[in-house]
Amino acid sequence: MLCFRILFMEQVLFKHNRPGRMTTFDEYRSEGGFVALARALAGMSPDEVQQAVIDSGMRGRGGAGFPTGKKWSFVPRNLPGPRYLICNCDEMEPGTYKDRVLLERNPHLLVEGMALACYALGVQHAFIFIRRGYEQAADNLRLAVAAAHGAGFLGENVRGSGFSLELDIHQSAGRYICGEETALINALEGIRANPRAKPPFPAVKGLWGQPTVVNNVETLANIPSIINGGPAWWKGLAATPEAAGTKLFCISGHVVRPECFELPLGMKLGEIIDGPCGGMRPGSTFKACIPGGASTPYLTKLHWDVPMDFDPVAKAGSRLGTGGIIVFDQSTCMVAATLNLIRFFARESCGWCTPCREGLPFVRHILERIEAGQGQAGDIDILREHVRLLNHAFCALAPGAMGPVDGLLNHFEDELQEHITAQRCPFEGTHS
Amino acid sequence: MVNLTIDDKQVTAPKTATIYEAAKMNGVNIPILCHDKKLKPFGACRMCLVEVEQMKGRQIPACTTPVTEGMIIRTSTPDIVKARKMVLELLLLNHPLDCPVCDKAGDCDLQNLTYEYKVDTNRFVDEKFHHEIDYNNPLIERDMNRCVLCGKCARICDEIVSFGALTFIDRGIETKIGCEFEDGLNCEFCGSCISVCPVGSLLARPFKFKARFWSLTKQKSVCGYCGTGCNLTLGVKDNKVLTTLYDENQGFHKGQLCVRGRFGYQFINSDKRLTSPLVRRNGRLIEASWEEALEVVAARLKGGNSVAALGSSRLTNEELTLFKKLMLENVGSSNFDHSAGYAHSALTSGFARSFGTTASPASILDIQKTDLLFVIKTDSYETHPVIGFEINMAVKNRGIKLNIISDKRGKLSKLPGANTFVHKPGSEVSVLNAIAKSILDDKLAVGSVDSVQGYAELAEALKAYTPEAVSALCGLTAEDIKKIAREYASADKALILFPIGQGYVSHNQEMSCAVANLSILTGKLGKEGCGVLCMSEKNNSQGAVDMGFFPRADGMNAQQILDACKNGSVKTLFVAGENPIVSYPDKSKVTTALEAVEFLIVSELFMTETAAMADVVLPACSFAEKDGTFTSTDRRVQYVSPSIRKNSNCKTDFEIFSALISKLGGQTPVSSSLLFSEISSNTDGYAGMTHVSLRKESAFASVNVKPKLIVPKASAAVSSEPGKLAMVTGSALYHSGTLSQFGEGPMHVCPEAYVEMSRKDAANLKIHDKDIVTVSSPTGSLKLNVKVTARIPEGLVFVPYHFSAAPVNAIWDGAPVTMVSLTK
Ligand SMILES: Cc1cc2nc3c(=O)[nH]c(=O)nc-3n(C[C@H](O)[C@H](O)[C@H](O)COP(=O)(O)O)c2cc1C
Ligand code: SF4
Ligand code: SF4
Ligand code: SF4
Ligand code: SF4
Ligand code: FES
Repeated sequence: MLCFRILFMEQVLFKHNRPGRMTTFDEYRSEGGFVALARALAGMSPDEVQQAVIDSGMRGRGGAGFPTGKKWSFVPRNLPGPRYLICNCDEMEPGTYKDRVLLERNPHLLVEGMALACYALGVQHAFIFIRRGYEQAADNLRLAVAAAHGAGFLGENVRGSGFSLELDIHQSAGRYICGEETALINALEGIRANPRAKPPFPAVKGLWGQPTVVNNVETLANIPSIINGGPAWWKGLAATPEAAGTKLFCISGHVVRPECFELPLGMKLGEIIDGPCGGMRPGSTFKACIPGGASTPYLTKLHWDVPMDFDPVAKAGSRLGTGGIIVFDQSTCMVAATLNLIRFFARESCGWCTPCREGLPFVRHILERIEAGQGQAGDIDILREHVRLLNHAFCALAPGAMGPVDGLLNHFEDELQEHITAQRCPFEGTHS
Repeated sequence: MVNLTIDDKQVTAPKTATIYEAAKMNGVNIPILCHDKKLKPFGACRMCLVEVEQMKGRQIPACTTPVTEGMIIRTSTPDIVKARKMVLELLLLNHPLDCPVCDKAGDCDLQNLTYEYKVDTNRFVDEKFHHEIDYNNPLIERDMNRCVLCGKCARICDEIVSFGALTFIDRGIETKIGCEFEDGLNCEFCGSCISVCPVGSLLARPFKFKARFWSLTKQKSVCGYCGTGCNLTLGVKDNKVLTTLYDENQGFHKGQLCVRGRFGYQFINSDKRLTSPLVRRNGRLIEASWEEALEVVAARLKGGNSVAALGSSRLTNEELTLFKKLMLENVGSSNFDHSAGYAHSALTSGFARSFGTTASPASILDIQKTDLLFVIKTDSYETHPVIGFEINMAVKNRGIKLNIISDKRGKLSKLPGANTFVHKPGSEVSVLNAIAKSILDDKLAVGSVDSVQGYAELAEALKAYTPEAVSALCGLTAEDIKKIAREYASADKALILFPIGQGYVSHNQEMSCAVANLSILTGKLGKEGCGVLCMSEKNNSQGAVDMGFFPRADGMNAQQILDACKNGSVKTLFVAGENPIVSYPDKSKVTTALEAVEFLIVSELFMTETAAMADVVLPACSFAEKDGTFTSTDRRVQYVSPSIRKNSNCKTDFEIFSALISKLGGQTPVSSSLLFSEISSNTDGYAGMTHVSLRKESAFASVNVKPKLIVPKASAAVSSEPGKLAMVTGSALYHSGTLSQFGEGPMHVCPEAYVEMSRKDAANLKIHDKDIVTVSSPTGSLKLNVKVTARIPEGLVFVPYHFSAAPVNAIWDGAPVTMVSLTK
């Protein structure tokens, strides 16, 4: 029944996908690609494009869910000098791989979406910041950019509209912190990828001190369909009246089909797992999941019916994040799982601020001890204190890193306590 | 102004203030570790977290968050105190806690905050760091195990010093502050990083294990090296100056110092200091009593015009005044001078003619207030590093434009947007005249300028200096010259800076008139951010000029005095604090003169080359042992009181001159402060100053300008000779005069003279970096180490003065440019 629903669900991001390969420029064109751009250039003012994005209710797909149209509206239009748009394709958050899939299948959507965004923002030079390791995606993007240039959708005076755009692809040296927008800007400038203090926000003072918008790949790839179908139609693609549009959910863990799906925003967690994912693996029962990439607190069986949309997931004590769902079954030791994630975050801390630089390795140290059967009485309190302090770090990495620890303390304190009391991991030998 | 509430107190603060600043202004102290008011906001340590009611539940850093209207701020709720405690616990987690052997103990922010927040439990334990300590240089120890990664060292080195020696490397817990390629530190050793380090990670090696911080007496003083007039805090124990201490509120420079000021203090307590008067008997200098020595000296001074004196611009205003009185009133001679005669001519003859005053119509404070800085010679950084910091900050933080004309590139050339126009050596005046010509031709002069005295003559004389004609001899294009003229003239405010000193012969009266003309023609005078700052060489060079310690029409200048020594018309020469054998041009001429003079009296701190030739040597006192006033290059008059007691067998020059005056039957001043009252009533601009008022706060002597256009004479172009290179001399960054040779710090990092040359010439001559070459000129030859650098243009070599062991004056006779050949 659920599979049936998916078939009839409208897709906008995966609509042009071909099995196993990238959609060609001509294929994309013949299915209506670049019509939105041509239409906007011919008949819409930049403000109208921005208004459409505001009306669509689009919220950023990069993790924070900030309303995209609103972000664009922060860009001052009266400052001298250039403005920039940067597409964030750093995607290093464990459990997240949606941008890669999108670019491996249909990079043209991003190119068209960026052109529309640049038109709306008055940007003439945009960058795609892509993680090293995403070689296929980068190759595809290069082809897509070249093809769009060839067809006159990029470059000087696009289609005689007077609008010009250069699009550069920057393959980064790759670090998780480079995904944080201000660190990304530093990296793009060629300096150490530390985050910058906010304010000033990039929209006012970003790349080389100029107004800069940073948006996620998926966010930008949605713009063509917002212009094509209109904001109201696009918003209606969601599963609930509050949500807007579709979302790429990339699933991993103990489910039958751990893949990346385009689904209506607001679909319930249980519906996603039991539907497109094909349910839990044989012998597995659902214990918990990470709902939106490694930096989001766990959801549990209690949250089975939570609509997977920004506000409902936040109300459930977590974050929709990137839509990277990692599903754990009953055999998972949540302490070990958390430790695994913390190891990643501690390694990826940029080292700028005290709570994150010193706190994360210490949290790792404590979790290692607990997992090794050497937990001590005060450890749980110390972990709680770290959750609190790391929320006040310089950037969002540290609060994100403490997401899983927070989830562990809120939902699995008994499991933690058990480790400490028994001085051993209760799952020893049962890990799958 | 905005209204806000801090800890239940209604207060106001400027719109631009951060929460931290607003709190501080209103007497609320928020703890900080990584914040420094001189540096850009950073926000990394999280010690300064506060709560703002409007941002519910969040703790935000006070040091980076701007205030907004109506903010309700709490700075020390139990939650905040807990968070700060935890930050400290985390910082202490890997910290070695070796306070008992750490020189920073007692002055350490981490220690003090840990104490203040009573972090007495050791709840967090983890492994300590095992970073190797950097002992690669003699001045700065870098122990990254103690580092709290506040970034202040890297930031100050970048934002103010503009050297960029330090940076963050690695990430996460491995993050540390490193140097290029993780090598040892190799930089200009200004010590700014030590000053701001909140912990014991960066320490002054010369001070290691010398004293605990709390046992030091802090003595305020003024740097005894260059004319910038930086203020110092000396750390004194057992009557010894053991270190310099940082006081971020001290002076216009907010405690910043250069390597000389920071690390050059050792001459004060050097064991090479003279401790007894010496009188020559049977060819040897023998210890004598003061009475004996002064008797001999007084007897020799009764020679009227056959007596001459060379003073030092490191003496106080009071001493120079007394020396002058001694000469004029008691000896009866007007033959006295200082700084080789020419090194003050830009002021005493140049500005005197152009501006009707012998001081600069601009101050160091104008640097931050101008729109365009026009610097003559990149050496301005080396001669006056702390003025260099001001230039760095003006350009980097305020976007002030920087144009430089120079015979070589330099550190200033690397500043963002800096334009360096490299001209052939010795052609400065021609270039400046061509700029003036261009200003006239392109109608860039102010409307009223033709009514300024001297206009017609100048306009006529400048006909020979069209940019095109000058281009041929100076190597700049005519378009460059016009561009400099255009930018200077069209800037709203523009300030010209140039250094003077014994190493800069061509920065003489002609050049200063040429510079003055530009400011007069374009009306860049008498306004904030405008004018000309002639950067005088030594700590009291401007004072020496203000006190009139230079010859008038009826007196001989330094060069004439030397000639007169040689020909016998001067029979007694009294040298106080100068070392002409090393610092005056043409060593053999100076030596012959000093050998020829019948009687040589030298008052000195050290047995210098000049003192060694004397008939009587009088052991004098350094700035740290006496009181008096110094006048900085921008005429800030500053009072110094003794930081330590002098050796009982030494006398200050003040005492020496007083004693001699009285032996010659004159009236001696009761005290230096009374003498200063006399000085202030007799000296232009000093009116109203007293020791008492200056003790409280230094004061600027006002400058009254009466502009007049003067025709500057350019020196003849230097013709190049095949196979020879053009040598210029000047100052090395680490040194000032010859005194810095007695400062361990400067000598550690720059122990000897060198010849700096271009890569191209080095390749042509098959000479390599660090080779030893013989540099030969018509007056002699010298063996020198080679430095091959990118900043020197082809055809030029640079040899610094300062050094007794390889004195440049052995191959330099005082010409602005000397043709030399280099052989291996
Ligand atoms: C540590 C860290 C890593 C991040 N990594 C990414 C990333 O890989 N891709 C991304 O789009 N956003 C990432 N973000 C979020 C960006 O800072 C930014 O919010 C986002 O690119 C904005 O795009 P959107 O408005 O389209 O969501 C990261 C944030 C943090 C704090
Ligand atoms: S929270 Fe972590 S990643 Fe972010 S600035 Fe601080 S140390 Fe760097
Ligand atoms: S001594 Fe000066 S130049 Fe050297 S690292 Fe420290 S601040 Fe930089
Ligand atoms: S060395 Fe000192 S100043 Fe530099 S980052 Fe470490 S603690 Fe801060
Ligand atoms: S030598 Fe000059 S610049 Fe350096 S500290 Fe002393 S007065 Fe300042
Ligand atoms: S002082 Fe504010 S974060 Fe360090």
